[in-house]
Amino acid sequence: MKDKIRIFLDTDLLEKYLIGSTSTEESLQVERYIAMYPEVRETYNELQENLETFAKMHAIKTPEGLKETIQNRIKQENKGRRKFFRYAVAASIAALIFAGSSYFFWNENQGLQEENTYVSNKIKDLEADMTNRLEDFRNQFIVLNNPQTKKYNVNGNQKAKELKAVAYINPVKKLSYINVRNLPNLPEDQCFQMWAEVNGEMVNLGVIKNISDKDKLFALPYAENAIGYITIEPNGGNVTPTVENIVANISY
Amino acid sequence: MSTLLEKHIVELLQERNEKAISLLYEHYGDTLYGVAFKVLRDEELAQDVLQESFVKIWKKSDSYDATKAKLFTWLFRITRNSAIDKLRSVKTKTDKEIQINVSDVYSLGVNSTKPELMDVRENLEKIEPKYQIVLDALFFQGMTQQEASEELDIPLGTIKSRLKIGLRELKKIYGASMLITLLLSIIS
Repeated sequence: MKDKIRIFLDTDLLEKYLIGSTSTEESLQVERYIAMYPEVRETYNELQENLETFAKMHAIKTPEGLKETIQNRIKQENKGRRKFFRYAVAASIAALIFAGSSYFFWNENQGLQEENTYVSNKIKDLEADMTNRLEDFRNQFIVLNNPQTKKYNVNGNQKAKELKAVAYINPVKKLSYINVRNLPNLPEDQCFQMWAEVNGEMVNLGVIKNISDKDKLFALPYAENAIGYITIEPNGGNVTPTVENIVANISY
Repeated sequence: MSTLLEKHIVELLQERNEKAISLLYEHYGDTLYGVAFKVLRDEELAQDVLQESFVKIWKKSDSYDATKAKLFTWLFRITRNSAIDKLRSVKTKTDKEIQINVSDVYSLGVNSTKPELMDVRENLEKIEPKYQIVLDALFFQGMTQQEASEELDIPLGTIKSRLKIGLRELKKIYGASMLITLLLSIIS
């Protein structure tokens, strides 16, 4: 141990470290020795004291004005730093604004995309609806104008004597329509519903609304020997027709 | 006294208070100028180096670690290394000029020294030149004892013994100069 310290002190590494001419590795080694061995630390401290004394002996009076020059340079240095910080702050703010606006536009874009999808879907729906209606109108026109169309007057039975409807059946074009002209008044909790029995299956054609539907032609699904029914059902319609409440039937 | 002042300066440095530079200059300026001059042997260059060193000291102030070195040791290292860098850059430019400008450090004269350092300088003269040369090689030239032995053409053993005696002499002066500076600080 003693030998190790002596060998170390003999190497001049400590002196080189003192005046700052050691490499990083050497510095680490010296610092380790200083930390570990009190003897080395003592020598180092002594060397530091000696260095200061020896250097002070060689002090030379600095020329006039040098202090001011140095102080101005330090001020300049600080200004540069402050300037840098100012730029840094400005840059950060700009970056924040950019990030904020980016997010805003991204958000806006996302919203617009959603809206766009919604609108285009709506247009598609409308188109489909229009096509359906147009088809419907075309068919109505065909049915009403075709000489082969048969017209059946439908009257209500005992339960709804005032019910009057006209059915148009065209076996050639395989189209059938019904126009309900008049409906008896019903209690508020009841309504008329149309049905069609097609190939033994009961198809719900929907609820007939009292006033506005007077001129409306209901399309009936066409089939050979199909039967149309009008029933009285609870308000809002029913899933299956109530047989005892059949008020009219149209066989075609 | 010096440790209290050192602590104060270090605190100011860490607070990045410009007053630290003013205090450092007042207490170490002349010594550091001397260090730069010892290396460069040119007043103008030494002044440049002193300026650069102070800027470095200011910039690096948060890297100072009081547990690793005394304040002066740290200042000395920065100044000496700056001076050596300067010397190298100038040497590559005008090798000859520098050599012509080489002047004997010891003949610089007492006039250019601070009055309170005059006693120290007188004391320095008490150290025999043969010890001074060895101390000089060690502290300023950054030579190893082996290098000093080769450079000065003195056997290694002699270098070692001269260094020991030189340091002992220095310690004596150090004690005296401490007393002087203490007295001076009490008076002023």
